[in-house]
Amino acid sequence: MMASRFSGWNSLLLSGLLATLPAWADDLAGPRYHVQGFAAQGLIGSSDNRFFGDSEDRVSTDFTEAGLHGSWQPLDALRLSGQVLYRRAGESDQDGLRLDYAQADWQFYQTDVTQFGLKLGKVKLPYGLYNETRDVPFTRPGILLPQSVYIDNSRDLLLAAPGMFVHGASVQKYGAIDFLLGWVRPDFDSESVEYVFLGNTRPGKLQGKGTLGARLRWDAPTDTTLMLTYADARADYSPGSPDSLAAGKIRFRNLLATVQQRLDTLTLTAEYGQPQGNRRGFGPALPDDSRTVQAFYLQGEWRFRPAWELMLRHDIFYRDRNDKNGRQFEAATGLPAHSMFARDSTLGLRWDATPSLMLRAEYHHIDGTGWLPGPDNPDLFSREQRWNMWLLQAAYRF
Amino acid sequence: MTHARFLFRRLVLLLLLASPLAVSAGIIVNPGVEGRSISAASLRNIYTLRQTLWPNRQPIVIFVLPDDHPAHEAFAKEKLGLYPYRLRQTWDRLSFSGMASTPIEVKDENEMRARVRATPGAIGYTSKDTVYDGIKILRLE
Repeated sequence: MMASRFSGWNSLLLSGLLATLPAWADDLAGPRYHVQGFAAQGLIGSSDNRFFGDSEDRVSTDFTEAGLHGSWQPLDALRLSGQVLYRRAGESDQDGLRLDYAQADWQFYQTDVTQFGLKLGKVKLPYGLYNETRDVPFTRPGILLPQSVYIDNSRDLLLAAPGMFVHGASVQKYGAIDFLLGWVRPDFDSESVEYVFLGNTRPGKLQGKGTLGARLRWDAPTDTTLMLTYADARADYSPGSPDSLAAGKIRFRNLLATVQQRLDTLTLTAEYGQPQGNRRGFGPALPDDSRTVQAFYLQGEWRFRPAWELMLRHDIFYRDRNDKNGRQFEAATGLPAHSMFARDSTLGLRWDATPSLMLRAEYHHIDGTGWLPGPDNPDLFSREQRWNMWLLQAAYRF
Repeated sequence: MTHARFLFRRLVLLLLLASPLAVSAGIIVNPGVEGRSISAASLRNIYTLRQTLWPNRQPIVIFVLPDDHPAHEAFAKEKLGLYPYRLRQTWDRLSFSGMASTPIEVKDENEMRARVRATPGAIGYTSKDTVYDGIKILRLE
Protein backbone atom coordinates (compact mmCIF):
# COMPACT_ATOMS: atom_id res chain seq x y z
CA MET A 1 0.00 0.00 0.00
CA MET A 2 1.43 3.35 -1.04
CA ALA A 3 0.07 6.67 0.03
CA SER A 4 1.29 10.18 0.19
CA ARG A 5 -0.03 13.69 0.53
CA PHE A 6 -0.39 15.43 -2.77
CA SER A 7 1.61 18.61 -3.36
CA GLY A 8 -0.07 21.86 -2.41
CA TRP A 9 0.52 23.45 -5.82
CA ASN A 10 -1.68 21.08 -7.73
CA SER A 11 -4.55 21.21 -5.27
CA LEU A 12 -4.26 24.99 -5.24
CA LEU A 13 -4.44 25.09 -9.02
CA LEU A 14 -7.42 22.75 -9.15
CA SER A 15 -9.35 24.44 -6.38
CA GLY A 16 -8.71 27.73 -8.16
CA LEU A 17 -10.17 26.31 -11.36
CA LEU A 18 -13.22 24.99 -9.57
CA ALA A 19 -13.68 27.74 -7.00
CA THR A 20 -16.75 29.04 -8.82
CA LEU A 21 -18.77 26.18 -7.34
CA PRO A 22 -20.10 27.43 -4.01
CA ALA A 23 -20.34 24.17 -2.05
CA TRP A 24 -16.70 23.35 -2.56
CA ALA A 25 -14.84 22.40 0.57
CA ASP A 26 -11.29 21.17 0.61
CA ASP A 27 -10.58 19.90 4.08
CA LEU A 28 -9.32 16.38 3.51
CA ALA A 29 -6.18 15.90 5.57
CA GLY A 30 -5.45 12.35 4.53
CA PRO A 31 -3.45 11.18 1.51
CA ARG A 32 -4.88 12.36 -1.78
CA TYR A 33 -3.77 9.48 -3.89
CA HIS A 34 -3.59 5.76 -3.50
CA VAL A 35 -2.15 2.96 -5.59
CA GLN A 36 -2.92 -0.74 -5.22
CA GLY A 37 -2.57 -3.78 -7.41
CA PHE A 38 -2.65 -7.52 -7.81
CA ALA A 39 -1.26 -10.37 -9.90
CA ALA A 40 -2.63 -13.89 -10.22
CA GLN A 41 -1.79 -17.05 -12.11
CA GLY A 42 -4.12 -19.97 -12.63
CA LEU A 43 -3.72 -23.61 -13.61
CA ILE A 44 -6.66 -25.36 -15.30
CA GLY A 45 -7.31 -28.96 -16.21
CA SER A 46 -10.46 -30.53 -17.69
CA SER A 47 -11.65 -34.05 -18.49
CA ASP A 48 -13.19 -32.86 -21.77
CA ASN A 49 -13.64 -29.54 -23.58
CA ARG A 50 -11.25 -26.65 -23.29
CA PHE A 51 -11.55 -23.80 -20.83
CA PHE A 52 -9.13 -20.84 -20.96
CA GLY A 53 -6.57 -22.63 -23.11
CA ASP A 54 -5.49 -26.18 -23.77
CA SER A 55 -6.91 -27.70 -20.59
CA GLU A 56 -8.25 -31.01 -21.91
CA ASP A 57 -6.30 -33.86 -20.24
CA ARG A 58 -3.49 -31.35 -19.75
CA VAL A 59 -2.74 -28.33 -17.63
CA SER A 60 -3.43 -24.94 -19.13
CA THR A 61 -1.34 -22.09 -17.72
CA ASP A 62 -3.17 -19.64 -19.93
CA PHE A 63 -5.11 -17.79 -17.25
CA THR A 64 -3.25 -14.74 -15.97
CA GLU A 65 -4.64 -11.63 -14.32
CA ALA A 66 -2.79 -8.54 -13.12
CA GLY A 67 -3.99 -5.04 -12.38
CA LEU A 68 -2.73 -1.69 -11.22
CA HIS A 69 -5.36 0.57 -9.69
CA GLY A 70 -4.94 4.22 -8.83
CA SER A 71 -7.17 6.87 -7.38
CA TRP A 72 -6.53 10.54 -6.85
CA GLN A 73 -8.65 13.02 -4.93
CA PRO A 74 -7.55 16.48 -6.10
CA LEU A 75 -10.47 17.90 -4.10
CA ASP A 76 -12.67 16.48 -1.35
CA ALA A 77 -15.59 16.14 -3.73
CA LEU A 78 -13.69 14.91 -6.77
CA ARG A 79 -12.21 11.45 -7.21
CA LEU A 80 -10.35 10.33 -10.33
CA SER A 81 -9.76 6.60 -10.54
CA GLY A 82 -8.72 4.02 -13.05
CA GLN A 83 -7.27 0.59 -13.56
CA VAL A 84 -4.85 -0.89 -16.03
CA LEU A 85 -5.46 -4.59 -16.50
CA TYR A 86 -3.40 -7.39 -17.95
CA ARG A 87 -5.46 -10.47 -18.73
CA ARG A 88 -5.00 -13.64 -20.71
CA ALA A 89 -7.66 -16.34 -20.77
CA GLY A 90 -7.09 -18.97 -23.44
CA GLU A 91 -8.27 -18.18 -26.95
CA SER A 92 -11.10 -15.94 -25.70
CA ASP A 93 -8.86 -13.24 -24.25
CA GLN A 94 -5.46 -12.62 -25.76
CA ASP A 95 -5.55 -8.85 -25.58
CA GLY A 96 -2.97 -8.67 -22.79
CA LEU A 97 -2.64 -5.15 -21.40
CA ARG A 98 -5.61 -2.79 -21.58
CA LEU A 99 -7.20 0.18 -19.85
CA ASP A 100 -9.96 -1.36 -17.74
CA TYR A 101 -11.63 1.88 -16.70
CA ALA A 102 -10.94 5.56 -16.09
CA GLN A 103 -13.56 7.68 -14.42
CA ALA A 104 -14.13 10.98 -12.65
CA ASP A 105 -16.59 10.98 -9.78
CA TRP A 106 -17.94 14.30 -8.55
CA GLN A 107 -19.78 14.10 -5.23
CA PHE A 108 -21.95 17.17 -5.59
CA TYR A 109 -23.94 16.66 -2.39
CA GLN A 110 -22.47 15.29 0.81
CA THR A 111 -23.60 15.15 4.41
CA ASP A 112 -22.60 12.70 7.11
CA VAL A 113 -25.46 10.35 6.13
CA THR A 114 -26.24 11.07 2.47
CA GLN A 115 -24.22 11.48 -0.73
CA PHE A 116 -25.10 12.17 -4.34
CA GLY A 117 -22.61 12.09 -7.17
CA LEU A 118 -22.04 11.98 -10.88
CA LYS A 119 -19.41 9.78 -12.47
CA LEU A 120 -18.32 9.90 -16.05
CA GLY A 121 -15.61 8.60 -18.33
CA LYS A 122 -15.02 4.97 -19.16
CA VAL A 123 -17.09 3.89 -16.18
CA LYS A 124 -17.43 0.56 -14.37
CA LEU A 125 -20.82 -1.00 -15.07
CA PRO A 126 -22.98 -1.97 -12.11
CA TYR A 127 -24.21 -5.52 -12.56
CA GLY A 128 -24.98 -7.82 -9.66
CA LEU A 129 -22.65 -8.27 -6.69
CA TYR A 130 -19.31 -8.98 -8.32
CA ASN A 131 -19.10 -7.39 -11.76
CA GLU A 132 -17.39 -4.11 -10.90
CA THR A 133 -14.42 -5.92 -9.39
CA ARG A 134 -14.69 -9.16 -11.37
CA ASP A 135 -11.01 -9.14 -12.36
CA VAL A 136 -9.72 -8.67 -8.81
CA PRO A 137 -9.28 -12.29 -7.62
CA PHE A 138 -9.63 -11.40 -3.92
CA THR A 139 -13.12 -9.99 -4.39
CA ARG A 140 -14.55 -13.05 -6.14
CA PRO A 141 -16.23 -15.91 -4.29
CA GLY A 142 -14.19 -18.39 -6.36
CA ILE A 143 -11.51 -18.63 -9.05
CA LEU A 144 -14.34 -18.41 -11.57
CA LEU A 145 -17.48 -16.36 -11.11
CA PRO A 146 -20.77 -18.22 -11.59
CA GLN A 147 -20.82 -18.48 -15.37
CA SER A 148 -24.62 -18.35 -15.67
CA VAL A 149 -24.91 -14.77 -14.44
CA TYR A 150 -21.36 -13.45 -15.03
CA ILE A 151 -20.73 -15.36 -18.27
CA ASP A 152 -17.12 -14.72 -19.26
CA ASN A 153 -18.07 -15.03 -22.95
CA SER A 154 -19.85 -11.69 -22.83
CA ARG A 155 -17.62 -10.02 -20.25
CA ASP A 156 -16.60 -7.27 -22.68
CA LEU A 157 -20.19 -6.09 -22.64
CA LEU A 158 -20.32 -5.89 -18.87
CA LEU A 159 -16.94 -4.49 -17.88
CA ALA A 160 -16.87 -0.75 -18.41
CA ALA A 161 -18.10 1.58 -21.11
CA PRO A 162 -18.00 5.26 -22.04
CA GLY A 163 -20.91 7.06 -20.42
CA MET A 164 -22.13 8.48 -17.13
CA PHE A 165 -23.95 7.48 -13.95
CA VAL A 166 -25.78 9.47 -11.33
CA HIS A 167 -25.45 7.77 -7.96
CA GLY A 168 -26.62 8.25 -4.43
CA ALA A 169 -26.30 6.60 -1.04
CA SER A 170 -27.88 7.13 2.34
CA VAL A 171 -27.61 5.44 5.72
CA GLN A 172 -30.78 5.32 7.80
CA LYS A 173 -32.23 3.32 10.69
CA TYR A 174 -33.67 0.77 8.26
CA GLY A 175 -30.25 0.23 6.69
CA ALA A 176 -28.28 1.64 3.81
CA ILE A 177 -29.71 2.37 0.39
CA ASP A 178 -27.74 3.12 -2.72
CA PHE A 179 -28.57 3.53 -6.36
CA LEU A 180 -26.92 4.10 -9.74
CA LEU A 181 -28.69 5.26 -12.87
CA GLY A 182 -26.90 5.91 -16.11
CA TRP A 183 -26.38 5.88 -19.80
CA VAL A 184 -23.46 4.12 -21.48
CA ARG A 185 -22.32 2.78 -24.83
CA PRO A 186 -21.08 -0.78 -24.24
CA ASP A 187 -18.53 -2.64 -26.35
CA PHE A 188 -20.11 -5.31 -28.54
CA ASP A 189 -17.19 -5.48 -30.95
CA SER A 190 -15.25 -8.45 -29.61
CA GLU A 191 -14.80 -11.98 -30.85
CA SER A 192 -16.49 -13.71 -27.92
CA VAL A 193 -19.45 -11.30 -27.86
CA GLU A 194 -19.98 -12.00 -31.58
CA TYR A 195 -19.99 -15.70 -30.73
CA VAL A 196 -22.75 -15.12 -28.19
CA PHE A 197 -25.02 -12.96 -30.33
CA LEU A 198 -24.16 -13.99 -33.91
CA GLY A 199 -23.14 -17.62 -33.39
CA ASN A 200 -19.62 -17.10 -34.76
CA THR A 201 -17.02 -14.45 -35.46
CA ARG A 202 -18.19 -12.32 -38.38
CA PRO A 203 -16.38 -10.09 -40.87
CA GLY A 204 -18.51 -7.03 -40.04
CA LYS A 205 -18.64 -4.80 -36.97
CA LEU A 206 -21.13 -4.96 -34.11
CA GLN A 207 -21.48 -1.43 -32.78
CA GLY A 208 -22.99 -0.74 -29.35
CA LYS A 209 -25.69 1.95 -29.09
CA GLY A 210 -27.00 3.85 -26.10
CA THR A 211 -27.70 1.65 -23.10
CA LEU A 212 -29.66 2.33 -19.96
CA GLY A 213 -28.28 0.86 -16.74
CA ALA A 214 -29.67 1.01 -13.21
CA ARG A 215 -29.03 -0.63 -9.88
CA LEU A 216 -30.76 -0.36 -6.53
CA ARG A 217 -29.17 -1.86 -3.44
CA TRP A 218 -30.47 -2.15 0.11
CA ASP A 219 -28.28 -3.34 2.96
CA ALA A 220 -30.64 -4.08 5.84
CA PRO A 221 -29.50 -4.01 9.50
CA THR A 222 -30.04 -7.79 9.60
CA ASP A 223 -26.87 -8.26 7.46
CA THR A 224 -29.08 -8.84 4.43
CA THR A 225 -28.37 -7.37 1.01
CA LEU A 226 -31.13 -7.05 -1.59
CA MET A 227 -30.36 -5.72 -5.02
CA LEU A 228 -31.90 -5.21 -8.45
CA THR A 229 -29.89 -4.47 -11.59
CA TYR A 230 -31.45 -3.52 -14.91
CA ALA A 231 -29.85 -3.05 -18.31
CA ASP A 232 -31.29 -2.33 -21.75
CA ALA A 233 -28.63 -2.48 -24.49
CA ARG A 234 -28.75 -2.20 -28.30
CA ALA A 235 -26.23 -2.84 -31.06
CA ASP A 236 -26.20 -2.39 -34.84
CA TYR A 237 -24.29 -4.59 -37.26
CA SER A 238 -22.38 -3.10 -40.20
CA PRO A 239 -21.56 -5.96 -42.62
CA GLY A 240 -18.02 -6.47 -43.86
CA SER A 241 -17.19 -7.24 -47.49
CA PRO A 242 -17.82 -9.98 -48.34
CA ASP A 243 -20.37 -10.86 -45.68
CA SER A 244 -23.24 -13.36 -45.63
CA LEU A 245 -25.04 -11.17 -43.08
CA ALA A 246 -27.11 -8.07 -43.71
CA ALA A 247 -27.15 -4.94 -41.50
CA GLY A 248 -29.10 -6.36 -38.54
CA LYS A 249 -29.96 -5.15 -35.07
CA ILE A 250 -29.57 -6.65 -31.61
CA ARG A 251 -31.35 -5.76 -28.40
CA PHE A 252 -30.47 -7.17 -25.01
CA ARG A 253 -32.41 -6.58 -21.80
CA ASN A 254 -31.76 -7.98 -18.38
CA LEU A 255 -33.20 -7.72 -14.90
CA LEU A 256 -31.01 -9.34 -12.26
CA ALA A 257 -32.15 -9.94 -8.68
CA THR A 258 -29.64 -10.48 -5.87
CA VAL A 259 -30.10 -11.71 -2.30
CA GLN A 260 -27.31 -12.16 0.21
CA GLN A 261 -27.55 -13.11 3.87
CA ARG A 262 -24.54 -13.00 6.16
CA LEU A 263 -24.71 -15.09 9.34
CA ASP A 264 -21.56 -14.98 11.45
CA THR A 265 -18.97 -16.85 9.33
CA LEU A 266 -21.52 -18.01 6.77
CA THR A 267 -22.50 -16.11 3.61
CA LEU A 268 -25.43 -17.28 1.51
CA THR A 269 -25.89 -15.71 -1.90
CA ALA A 270 -28.37 -16.16 -4.73
CA GLU A 271 -28.70 -14.24 -7.98
CA TYR A 272 -31.33 -14.73 -10.65
CA GLY A 273 -31.40 -13.16 -14.09
CA GLN A 274 -33.58 -13.50 -17.14
CA PRO A 275 -31.73 -11.81 -20.00
CA GLN A 276 -33.79 -11.32 -23.14
CA GLY A 277 -32.08 -11.16 -26.52
CA ASN A 278 -33.59 -10.13 -29.83
CA ARG A 279 -31.89 -10.41 -33.21
CA ARG A 280 -33.43 -9.23 -36.46
CA GLY A 281 -32.61 -8.08 -39.96
CA PHE A 282 -29.48 -10.21 -40.51
CA GLY A 283 -30.91 -11.87 -43.64
CA PRO A 284 -31.47 -15.58 -44.46
CA ALA A 285 -28.05 -16.70 -43.18
CA LEU A 286 -29.02 -15.76 -39.60
CA PRO A 287 -32.80 -15.87 -39.09
CA ASP A 288 -34.57 -13.47 -36.72
CA ASP A 289 -34.56 -14.75 -33.20
CA SER A 290 -35.95 -13.81 -29.82
CA ARG A 291 -35.27 -15.78 -26.70
CA THR A 292 -35.08 -15.50 -22.95
CA VAL A 293 -32.12 -16.90 -21.09
CA GLN A 294 -32.46 -18.17 -17.54
CA ALA A 295 -29.47 -17.78 -15.21
CA PHE A 296 -29.42 -18.66 -11.53
CA TYR A 297 -27.02 -19.68 -8.83
CA LEU A 298 -27.09 -20.49 -5.15
CA GLN A 299 -23.84 -20.20 -3.22
CA GLY A 300 -22.62 -20.73 0.32
CA GLU A 301 -19.30 -19.51 1.68
CA TRP A 302 -18.06 -20.60 5.07
CA ARG A 303 -15.05 -19.03 6.83
CA PHE A 304 -14.31 -22.03 9.05
CA ARG A 305 -10.96 -20.57 10.16
CA PRO A 306 -9.91 -16.90 10.03
CA ALA A 307 -7.82 -17.58 6.90
CA TRP A 308 -9.74 -20.50 5.37
CA GLU A 309 -12.95 -20.50 3.39
CA LEU A 310 -15.03 -23.23 1.83
CA MET A 311 -17.39 -22.48 -1.05
CA LEU A 312 -20.24 -24.57 -2.45
CA ARG A 313 -22.24 -23.46 -5.45
CA HIS A 314 -24.87 -24.72 -7.81
CA ASP A 315 -25.11 -22.73 -11.00
CA ILE A 316 -27.77 -23.17 -13.69
CA PHE A 317 -27.82 -21.69 -17.17
CA TYR A 318 -30.48 -22.18 -19.85
CA ARG A 319 -29.90 -20.43 -23.13
CA ASP A 320 -33.63 -20.61 -23.92
CA ARG A 321 -36.11 -20.92 -21.08
CA ASN A 322 -38.66 -22.41 -23.49
CA ASP A 323 -36.19 -25.06 -24.67
CA LYS A 324 -34.22 -25.94 -21.55
CA ASN A 325 -32.93 -29.33 -22.72
CA GLY A 326 -32.11 -27.99 -26.20
CA ARG A 327 -34.17 -30.62 -28.07
CA GLN A 328 -36.02 -28.08 -30.22
CA PHE A 329 -32.73 -26.37 -31.00
CA GLU A 330 -31.16 -29.69 -32.00
CA ALA A 331 -34.14 -30.63 -34.19
CA ALA A 332 -34.10 -27.24 -35.92
CA THR A 333 -30.34 -26.84 -36.44
CA GLY A 334 -28.77 -30.29 -36.16
CA LEU A 335 -26.36 -28.87 -33.57
CA PRO A 336 -25.89 -30.59 -30.18
CA ALA A 337 -28.68 -29.98 -27.65
CA HIS A 338 -26.19 -29.69 -24.76
CA SER A 339 -24.90 -26.36 -26.07
CA MET A 340 -28.21 -24.88 -24.85
CA PHE A 341 -27.67 -25.45 -21.12
CA ALA A 342 -25.09 -25.89 -18.36
CA ARG A 343 -25.52 -27.05 -14.78
CA ASP A 344 -22.37 -26.57 -12.76
CA SER A 345 -21.74 -27.88 -9.22
CA THR A 346 -18.68 -26.23 -7.71
CA LEU A 347 -16.60 -26.87 -4.60
CA GLY A 348 -13.93 -24.33 -3.74
CA LEU A 349 -11.31 -23.77 -1.05
CA ARG A 350 -9.60 -20.48 -0.26
CA TRP A 351 -6.57 -19.94 1.94
CA ASP A 352 -5.36 -16.45 2.78
CA ALA A 353 -1.80 -17.52 3.55
CA THR A 354 -0.89 -13.92 4.46
CA PRO A 355 -2.94 -10.71 4.11
CA SER A 356 -1.35 -10.29 0.67
CA LEU A 357 -1.18 -13.87 -0.63
CA MET A 358 -4.22 -16.00 -1.46
CA LEU A 359 -4.25 -19.59 -2.72
CA ARG A 360 -7.33 -21.23 -4.15
CA ALA A 361 -8.46 -24.62 -5.43
CA GLU A 362 -11.73 -25.36 -7.17
CA TYR A 363 -13.54 -28.32 -8.69
CA HIS A 364 -16.41 -28.15 -11.15
CA HIS A 365 -18.72 -30.89 -12.32
CA ILE A 366 -20.64 -29.64 -15.34
CA ASP A 367 -23.54 -31.04 -17.31
CA GLY A 368 -23.85 -29.09 -20.55
CA THR A 369 -21.68 -26.83 -22.68
CA GLY A 370 -23.89 -23.71 -22.64
CA TRP A 371 -21.18 -21.28 -21.54
CA LEU A 372 -18.09 -22.98 -22.93
CA PRO A 373 -15.87 -20.32 -24.49
CA GLY A 374 -16.52 -20.43 -28.26
CA PRO A 375 -13.00 -19.42 -29.39
CA ASP A 376 -11.47 -22.25 -27.29
CA ASN A 377 -13.94 -24.82 -28.66
CA PRO A 378 -14.67 -23.93 -32.28
CA ASP A 379 -15.99 -27.37 -33.24
CA LEU A 380 -19.50 -27.75 -31.77
CA PHE A 381 -19.56 -31.50 -32.44
CA SER A 382 -16.38 -32.32 -30.56
CA ARG A 383 -17.78 -30.84 -27.33
CA GLU A 384 -18.61 -33.29 -24.56
CA GLN A 385 -21.86 -32.87 -22.56
CA ARG A 386 -20.61 -34.06 -19.16
CA TRP A 387 -17.23 -32.81 -18.07
CA ASN A 388 -15.15 -31.98 -15.03
CA MET A 389 -12.72 -29.18 -14.44
CA TRP A 390 -10.27 -28.29 -11.67
CA LEU A 391 -8.51 -25.01 -11.14
CA LEU A 392 -5.72 -23.72 -8.92
CA GLN A 393 -4.88 -20.07 -8.46
CA ALA A 394 -2.27 -18.06 -6.60
CA ALA A 395 -2.96 -14.36 -6.18
CA TYR A 396 -0.76 -11.65 -4.72
CA ARG A 397 -1.77 -8.11 -3.80
CA PHE A 398 0.04 -4.96 -2.80
CA MET B 1 -26.54 5.75 57.07
CA THR B 2 -27.38 8.38 54.43
CA HIS B 3 -23.69 9.16 54.24
CA ALA B 4 -22.82 5.53 53.56
CA ARG B 5 -25.52 5.33 50.87
CA PHE B 6 -24.13 8.49 49.26
CA LEU B 7 -20.64 7.01 49.22
CA PHE B 8 -21.99 3.79 47.74
CA ARG B 9 -23.74 5.74 44.96
CA ARG B 10 -20.55 7.66 44.25
CA LEU B 11 -18.71 4.37 43.99
CA VAL B 12 -21.27 2.86 41.58
CA LEU B 13 -21.19 6.00 39.47
CA LEU B 14 -17.40 5.90 39.34
CA LEU B 15 -17.45 2.26 38.31
CA LEU B 16 -20.01 2.99 35.60
CA LEU B 17 -17.97 5.88 34.27
CA ALA B 18 -14.81 3.84 34.42
CA SER B 19 -16.25 0.78 32.72
CA PRO B 20 -15.74 1.93 29.10
CA LEU B 21 -12.07 2.39 29.95
CA ALA B 22 -11.83 -1.20 31.05
CA VAL B 23 -12.71 -2.76 27.68
CA SER B 24 -9.94 -3.99 25.45
CA ALA B 25 -9.86 -1.68 22.41
CA GLY B 26 -10.21 2.11 22.41
CA ILE B 27 -11.49 4.37 19.64
CA ILE B 28 -9.18 7.33 19.15
CA VAL B 29 -9.66 10.49 17.12
CA ASN B 30 -7.78 13.66 16.33
CA PRO B 31 -8.53 16.28 19.06
CA GLY B 32 -10.16 18.51 16.42
CA VAL B 33 -13.02 16.02 15.99
CA GLU B 34 -16.14 17.23 17.81
CA GLY B 35 -17.97 15.24 20.47
CA ARG B 36 -17.05 12.78 23.21
CA SER B 37 -18.87 9.69 22.05
CA ILE B 38 -19.84 7.85 18.90
CA SER B 39 -22.75 5.50 18.22
CA ALA B 40 -22.05 1.88 17.26
CA ALA B 41 -23.97 2.42 14.00
CA SER B 42 -21.95 5.48 13.10
CA LEU B 43 -18.65 3.73 13.85
CA ARG B 44 -19.69 0.83 11.62
CA ASN B 45 -20.77 3.22 8.85
CA ILE B 46 -17.39 4.95 9.00
CA TYR B 47 -15.40 1.73 8.82
CA THR B 48 -17.56 0.30 6.02
CA LEU B 49 -16.93 3.58 4.11
CA ARG B 50 -20.59 4.64 4.10
CA GLN B 51 -20.01 7.71 6.25
CA THR B 52 -17.20 9.87 4.92
CA LEU B 53 -17.85 13.13 6.82
CA TRP B 54 -18.11 14.04 10.51
CA PRO B 55 -21.42 15.73 11.46
CA ASN B 56 -19.71 19.14 10.98
CA ARG B 57 -18.84 17.99 7.41
CA GLN B 58 -15.13 17.60 8.05
CA PRO B 59 -13.77 14.69 5.96
CA ILE B 60 -13.00 11.55 7.95
CA VAL B 61 -9.56 9.99 7.55
CA ILE B 62 -9.63 6.31 8.56
CA PHE B 63 -6.59 4.48 9.92
CA VAL B 64 -6.35 0.72 10.34
CA LEU B 65 -3.79 -1.85 11.49
CA PRO B 66 -2.94 -4.84 9.24
CA ASP B 67 -5.71 -7.44 8.80
CA ASP B 68 -3.94 -10.02 10.96
CA HIS B 69 -2.95 -7.63 13.81
CA PRO B 70 -4.53 -8.75 17.12
CA ALA B 71 -5.74 -5.22 17.91
CA HIS B 72 -7.41 -5.02 14.49
CA GLU B 73 -9.13 -8.37 14.97
CA ALA B 74 -10.36 -7.29 18.43
CA PHE B 75 -11.58 -3.90 17.17
CA ALA B 76 -13.37 -5.36 14.14
CA LYS B 77 -15.15 -8.06 16.11
CA GLU B 78 -15.93 -6.22 19.36
CA LYS B 79 -16.56 -2.66 18.17
CA LEU B 80 -17.85 -3.20 14.64
CA GLY B 81 -19.34 -6.67 14.96
CA LEU B 82 -17.57 -7.68 11.74
CA TYR B 83 -14.83 -10.16 10.92
CA PRO B 84 -11.69 -8.61 9.44
CA TYR B 85 -12.23 -10.52 6.18
CA ARG B 86 -15.68 -8.96 5.72
CA LEU B 87 -14.23 -5.48 6.24
CA ARG B 88 -11.54 -6.23 3.65
CA GLN B 89 -14.22 -7.42 1.17
CA THR B 90 -16.15 -4.18 1.59
CA TRP B 91 -13.00 -2.03 1.18
CA ASP B 92 -11.90 -3.97 -1.91
CA ARG B 93 -15.32 -3.79 -3.55
CA LEU B 94 -15.57 -0.03 -3.05
CA SER B 95 -11.95 0.95 -3.70
CA PHE B 96 -11.23 -1.18 -6.79
CA SER B 97 -14.45 0.10 -8.40
CA GLY B 98 -13.43 3.71 -7.74
CA MET B 99 -16.31 4.49 -5.38
CA ALA B 100 -14.34 5.15 -2.17
CA SER B 101 -10.87 5.35 -0.67
CA THR B 102 -9.63 2.36 1.22
CA PRO B 103 -8.58 3.08 4.85
CA ILE B 104 -4.94 3.94 5.43
CA GLU B 105 -3.00 1.01 6.81
CA VAL B 106 -0.35 1.69 9.46
CA LYS B 107 2.17 -0.90 10.65
CA ASP B 108 1.71 -0.71 14.42
CA GLU B 109 0.01 1.10 17.28
CA ASN B 110 2.77 3.69 17.66
CA GLU B 111 2.31 4.78 14.08
CA MET B 112 -1.48 4.67 14.58
CA ARG B 113 -1.26 7.17 17.45
CA ALA B 114 1.22 9.39 15.62
CA ARG B 115 -0.91 9.55 12.46
CA VAL B 116 -4.19 10.14 14.33
CA ARG B 117 -2.54 12.92 16.35
CA ALA B 118 -1.15 14.59 13.21
CA THR B 119 -4.15 14.21 10.87
CA PRO B 120 -7.23 16.47 11.19
CA GLY B 121 -10.44 14.41 11.02
CA ALA B 122 -8.60 11.17 11.77
CA ILE B 123 -10.09 8.12 13.46
CA GLY B 124 -8.29 4.99 14.61
CA TYR B 125 -8.03 2.56 17.49
CA THR B 126 -5.55 1.12 19.95
CA SER B 127 -5.52 -2.05 22.02
CA LYS B 128 -5.64 -0.12 25.32
CA ASP B 129 -7.60 2.91 26.45
CA THR B 130 -4.49 4.63 27.71
CA VAL B 131 -4.67 8.43 27.54
CA TYR B 132 -2.05 10.04 25.31
CA ASP B 133 -1.26 13.68 24.67
CA GLY B 134 -2.90 15.10 21.56
CA ILE B 135 -5.31 12.20 21.06
CA LYS B 136 -8.96 12.08 22.07
CA ILE B 137 -10.69 8.89 23.17
CA LEU B 138 -14.29 8.45 22.01
CA ARG B 139 -16.77 6.55 24.11
CA LEU B 140 -18.89 4.00 22.26
CA GLU B 141 -22.59 4.68 22.87
